[in-house]
Amino acid sequence: MSKQYLTLHTVDQAHPTEIFSLAPTPNTLISASGSSHLLIHSTTTSPTFPLTQTLSNAHRLGCHHITTARGGPGNTFVSVGFGGDTKVWHRNPETDQWSLYWTLPTPDNKKEKGDVWAVALSADEGYLAATTSDGRIHVWDVLGKAKIQTYETGASAGGGGGHDSVGTGSFAMAVDLSRDGKFTASGHENGGVYVFNNDAGRMVYSLSGLAKPIRAVAFSPGCKRLAAAGNAGIIAIYDMQHGEHVANLSATGTRPAWITSIDWNDTGEYLLSGSLDGKVRVWDVARGVCVATHSETESALWCVRWLPKSEKALAPGMGKGEMFVAAGANRSLTFYREATGS
Amino acid sequence: MYFWPIRNQYLHPPSQPTISNSHERRSPPLERLSPVRASSTRVHHNIVTVPQSHSSDDALTKIEALFETIVDAISVGSPVAIPYRRSTNARVFNPIASASNPRDGRHMDSVRFPGRNPQELRRFEALFRIIEISHEALQSGTLVTKRNIYYQNMELFRSQSVVDEMVDNLAFTLGVGRNDLNIVATAKGLVAGQVELIMRGGSRINCAEISDSGVLLPSISAVEKIDFQSVKWLLVIEKEATFRTLSASRYYTVSRAGSGILVTGKGYPDLATRKFLATIHSVRPRLLMFALVDFDPHGISVLRTYQYGSQRLDHEKRTKVFGLIWLGIRSSDVLLNTVMTQDCSANSQGSQSSQDLSSQESIAYSVDAFEDERPAKRPRNQRTKSHPSDYTAPLNERDREKAVSVLRDICGTTRLDATEREHKLELQRMLILNIKAEIQAVDDFGDITNWLDERLLEHSRDVNSHQ
Repeated sequence: MSKQYLTLHTVDQAHPTEIFSLAPTPNTLISASGSSHLLIHSTTTSPTFPLTQTLSNAHRLGCHHITTARGGPGNTFVSVGFGGDTKVWHRNPETDQWSLYWTLPTPDNKKEKGDVWAVALSADEGYLAATTSDGRIHVWDVLGKAKIQTYETGASAGGGGGHDSVGTGSFAMAVDLSRDGKFTASGHENGGVYVFNNDAGRMVYSLSGLAKPIRAVAFSPGCKRLAAAGNAGIIAIYDMQHGEHVANLSATGTRPAWITSIDWNDTGEYLLSGSLDGKVRVWDVARGVCVATHSETESALWCVRWLPKSEKALAPGMGKGEMFVAAGANRSLTFYREATGS
Repeated sequence: MYFWPIRNQYLHPPSQPTISNSHERRSPPLERLSPVRASSTRVHHNIVTVPQSHSSDDALTKIEALFETIVDAISVGSPVAIPYRRSTNARVFNPIASASNPRDGRHMDSVRFPGRNPQELRRFEALFRIIEISHEALQSGTLVTKRNIYYQNMELFRSQSVVDEMVDNLAFTLGVGRNDLNIVATAKGLVAGQVELIMRGGSRINCAEISDSGVLLPSISAVEKIDFQSVKWLLVIEKEATFRTLSASRYYTVSRAGSGILVTGKGYPDLATRKFLATIHSVRPRLLMFALVDFDPHGISVLRTYQYGSQRLDHEKRTKVFGLIWLGIRSSDVLLNTVMTQDCSANSQGSQSSQDLSSQESIAYSVDAFEDERPAKRPRNQRTKSHPSDYTAPLNERDREKAVSVLRDICGTTRLDATEREHKLELQRMLILNIKAEIQAVDDFGDITNWLDERLLEHSRDVNSHQ
C-alpha cells in the first residue's frame, strides 16, 4: 500500500541563505539557517504558514542545529551556532513569544577543545544532550543549568562514562534521547553508533553496520528501535532490547546520496529521510520499503521533519492528514500533507 | 652584501631562433594548438607602465629624522625612544591604555634605551640595527632581503620571524610600506604566461620562456612596464604543484579561454605576490583575475587574503584584488548530484512513482545557487566514473577551528557583499558536511585542463554578456 502526499505549501525564500535545521512544536515550526536569525512559523493557524516571530542575531555565524522535545509540550527549544554557542529558549505561554532563557557556558579548561555540534532535548524538556566535535556527549540539566554527565567515546571509552577528558573520540555528528528518558544515542564521523543507558550512566551498545559517517540518529517513539543514517545513503535500524541490527532501508541504485536527516512519525510506523540530492522519502519501516519520494529541487535537503498531528484541520475543508516539512539549500520551507479520504 | 642578487635568467633572454625551436619541441597536442599562435613573430603588444611609488623618499626622510632625534638625545644624555607600534594591534590600539602600563615594553608605543628590562634592550638594539640597514639601502639605492638582515646578526635577532615582524611593525609605525624601506622578502611567487616584464634598468623577462617552472616573481617595484600582449585572463593558484603542471603544459597558451597568465604564491600569499597581482588589477582592471584554491578553510583564507588583504599588512598599499573571482574549488565541484540513482518507489510493488510536481514549477537550482534565482547554467556534469565523495577527506580539529575563525572574520563586518556571503556559505557547508577537498579532486586523472577551460570560458561568457 503506498502513501500519497501532496505539496501543501512552500514558504519561498523563508531565509536569506540555506536552511540547515528545523524543529517543530505542537503549533509552530522553528527554522535555522546560515544567517544569524531564527524564524518561527505557525503550523496550525493557516495553510500559508505565516511567520510569527523572528529571533534576530541569535547566532552571529549562523546556526546549524535546533531541536525541540519530540512528544513534548513545546515550550523549549535549543539552538547551536557555528561558533559552538548553544542557547536554550523558552516560550512565554501567555504572549506565545520566545525568548532566550540560557546560554550554555563554554568550557574553560584547555583539554575540552571540541565545539558543541548536535543537540537533543528529553521529552519533558528537562535534559539536554549536546555532542562535541571530539566525540563527547554532555548531558545538562536545563532547569538547574548544570552539567550532570559526560559520555566519552574516545580511545579510553567502552564502558566508562567518566567526567575527565581523556581520549579524543570521533566527531559526534548526531545525537538523540529516547522519549522514555532511558537512552542516549550518538552517531559519529567514523561510522560508530553508540547507545548509553542514562540511569546507569554508561555505554550499553556499540552498533556496527554503517562504515561511513553518521549524520542522524533517531529513537522510535516507542523507544524500541533506533534508526541511523548518513553518508552510506542507507538507514540502519537497530533493536534496543538487544542492540541488534535488524534492518536496512535503502533506495536502489549504485551510490545512494548522503542522507542528512531522518525523523520518525508519531506512530512509529514511518520514517522520513532527506538527502543531498534533494529527495525526501517516506519509509514503511515494518515492510522495509520506501512508499513515497518527493523532490522540489535538485539542491540539497538539510533537514526533514514530521509535524505533530493536530486535532483540527488547518483550514475548513482541508484534510487532517499527517504533515511533514523539508528544507535545505533552496532556502524555502516546503510543507507536505498526506492525502486522506476519497 | 646588501646588493640584490642578480639572477642569470633576468639578464639575457634567449635569441629568437631558440624560442621557435623550443616551441616546436614542447608543442602540445596538435588539436589544441591554434594556428595563429604557432607564429611567435605576430605578437600583439599591449604595454602598460607600472605606477611608481615615491614613498621611498618619504621613508628616507623619516628615518633620517629619527636618527636626528636619537643623536640629539644621546648628546644630552637623555633616554632615547624609537616609536614602535604593532600592525596587528592596529584596530585595538588604545594609546592611553598602553601608555599607562609600564610593566614591560611590549605594549608601549615605543622602544626605549635604556630600557626597563633586558628584553627591551635587545629589542632596541635589533630595531636600531634594522633602521640602520634600511637607511644604508635607501641611500645606496639597493634592495636588501629580510633573510639578509637576519644573517647580519643571527644572535641578536634570534629568529627570522623576529626580523619579519619588526620590519613590518617599523613600516607600519612610520606609515610606509615595507618596500619603501628598500627591504624585500626573498622572492617566493612564480609567474608563467604570455606576458613580458620590462624591468627598470632595461632587462626584460619573458614569462613564457621557461616553461615548466615559470619565472620567479620579481618585486613589483623593480618592474617598469608590463607587456600584456593578448592575455585575457589571470589565474592565481594556491598550490605550486598545480601551477607547475599547468605551466609545463603551457596551459596559458593553449587554454580554450585564450591566452593567460598563471601565478602562484606557493601556498599562503606573500606580500610580493599580492602586490604584483594588485598592481596588475589596477593597471588592467578589465583583465579577468581568478583564484583556484583547495576546498578547505585554509584555501578560503588564501583566497580572502588575495582579495581583501590581511590585518597584519593592512598598512601596505595596493595589496588587494577586490575583483578577484573564485574559480573553485567549491562544494558544488565535489558534490555532484548522483546522476544514476533510481527512485526506491519505482521498485516497490504497487506504489506510485515520485509525486508529480506539474502543479508547481520545479526549478532546478544548482547546488550552489544562493545569490539569485537564475536556473542552473551549467549542464549537469555527467561524470560517472567515481562518486565525488572519494576525493574528499574529513576535516580535522584544526580545520574546524580555522573554519570558525575565518567565519568570525567574515561576520565581523556588518554588511556582507555577495562574495563574502558566498565564502560564508561555503565554510558553513564545509563544517556541516565535514569535508574538504584538494584541487586534485576535480581533475581527470591528473589533468585539470578540461575543468579549467570550462570554468574560464563560462566566466568570460558571463562578463561578455553583461557588457
